[in-house]
Amino acid sequence: MFQPLTPFKWLGILGAIIVMLLLPMVTQDTYLLHVLILAMVFGIFASAWNFVTGFAGLKTFGHHAFFALGAYGSALIGINLGLSAWLTIWLGGLIAALAGLFIGLPILRIRSMPHVAIVTLGFAEIVRITLSNLTDITRGELGLWGIPVFDGFTVPGLGEVVFSPADKVPYYYLAFALLLLSVGVITALMRSKTGLSLIAMRDGEDAAESLGINLTRQKLQVFVVSSFLVGVAGAFYAHYITILTPAAVAGVDLMILIIAMVLVGGLGTLSGPLVGALVLTILVEFLRDLDTFRMLVYGAIIILSVMFLPKGLVTLGRRWKRPPDAAATEAE
Amino acid sequence: MTQQENTPLLDVRSVTMAFGGIVAVRDLSFTVTKGEILALMGPNGAGKTTTFNLIAGALLPTSGQIFFDGRDITQTKPDARCKAGIARTFQITQPFDELTVVENVMVATMPYHSSMSQMRKDARRYVQMVGLAERADVMAKGLSTGQRKRLELARAMATRPKLLLMDEVTGGVDQKSIPGLLDLVKSLRDEGQTLIIIEHNMRVINELSDRAIFMNRGARMVEGTPHEVAGHPQVVDLYLGEGGGHA
Ligand SMILES: Nc1ncnc2c1ncn2[C@@H]1O[C@H](COP(=O)(O)OP(=O)(O)OP(=O)(O)O)[C@@H](O)[C@H]1O
Ligand SMILES: [Mg+2]
Repeated sequence: MFQPLTPFKWLGILGAIIVMLLLPMVTQDTYLLHVLILAMVFGIFASAWNFVTGFAGLKTFGHHAFFALGAYGSALIGINLGLSAWLTIWLGGLIAALAGLFIGLPILRIRSMPHVAIVTLGFAEIVRITLSNLTDITRGELGLWGIPVFDGFTVPGLGEVVFSPADKVPYYYLAFALLLLSVGVITALMRSKTGLSLIAMRDGEDAAESLGINLTRQKLQVFVVSSFLVGVAGAFYAHYITILTPAAVAGVDLMILIIAMVLVGGLGTLSGPLVGALVLTILVEFLRDLDTFRMLVYGAIIILSVMFLPKGLVTLGRRWKRPPDAAATEAE
Repeated sequence: MTQQENTPLLDVRSVTMAFGGIVAVRDLSFTVTKGEILALMGPNGAGKTTTFNLIAGALLPTSGQIFFDGRDITQTKPDARCKAGIARTFQITQPFDELTVVENVMVATMPYHSSMSQMRKDARRYVQMVGLAERADVMAKGLSTGQRKRLELARAMATRPKLLLMDEVTGGVDQKSIPGLLDLVKSLRDEGQTLIIIEHNMRVINELSDRAIFMNRGARMVEGTPHEVAGHPQVVDLYLGEGGGHA
């Protein structure tokens, strides 16, 4: 984690970026791009949740509240004030970050992780119930529609870029840019003093504190960064899907899906949440017909992956190459 | 702040720590001057580790005060005490499992460097000093008990403390490594490092410390040179009375 990347890893990252960039030139299949856009939105969410839970060790189960606050915040500002989605997605992130600060201050002083889990989950329920009852503003479960899409613009040489349901390509690139930004921020932080402090804090709170790490400040910092990123992901989602319901963006189902993604991909790794988001988004599409049984399937996936892949999909390769013991100690 | 020569580095004043009905430390007072090595002795459960927790800030005393470097730190948080110059090792070691040995120590060297590579270089020095150079790049969870103890020491030293609290650093360390550790602590002493050591190994105490406090049931029972303490009738009685101990 803290060593310079090997050329092999650089190549892998670069290759993945190039493939992602070229993909819309190979196919403009609306459905495929839609699934990938969702995977990227969930990829941001999953990475940001993993930042807090996998790396910093704070077991929060209420991050869907930040997704919802970013989504509704950005959508409502767009609808009521007529501001451009290009601006409001950042405001949505800011609203989520402020909420993260507000809820983080009392919560993060709690040392008992089960309590942190319950309180954050409770907070998210409050957000969901509030969103569904403020019907004058949010229209509740009927759904908030009329959310403005991103303004189009002209790229010299390429022509006009229009954000419309018919053409997913502009959304695809925007989602990819946001994904790169989010993962870039998290990676940069993880490879700095912050990352060192977070893992120290996760592995031994008392020892970390005795070595000079200010636990409260450190926890609040990751919490705020993470809720900002989740808020921006939610805001993008709002202007992409253009209809929001509290059940869809503030329901605990969403959080469970994200947890499943991170566990399947690899908790406490940088690439795991991305791999998990891709795999599970595709799987969820296949299972769309199951509808009410979806939660059952997520549950089964979580249980199976914890049983058979305790370190996630991304450690599979290492497992094959080395004895299991070495693989276990090398997860990064 | 200029410090007078005779101001003690650490001044513990009538500190009491009660956990519900259990009084782990009872009205304890003592001082440590700069450059001194104080040994805390006593049977299991005497309150030695609790005393360290109070000095390092992991516990806040039920009553009493603690002064460090002329400042009242009674309510100061552990991280701030570290920055003020107090470092401690944990008797029950707390390695950061998913970090390598060097990275464990880097956590302590963070405040002194801006770049990760400088931190790493600095940390390596401490890893070497405690004799873990060969294990520098393995994950800390792969260490043996003795190696964990040494990692504790490297991390604490790397904060460059004014006062270093060592809680049974030789415990669990294999016998042939003890002389090396002893030499290390001696060289720290020769550089003027102030130390409080908790030790059961009488040989180690005799070689290192100037003064010893013998605690029993949370209170100071005897104080003097290690030799005086070990020969004190009350101490002898205690161990004979309990069927022999390890002090
Ligand atoms: N956090 C705590 N809560 C309740 N009781 C505690 C706590 N910490 C210590 N004690 C109790 O305080 C007493 C003193 O414990 P302490 O760990 O300070 O002893 P010690 O002198 O370090 O012993 P040892 O030689 O076994 O390490 C013991 O009776 C212990 O059970
Ligand atoms: Mg002890």
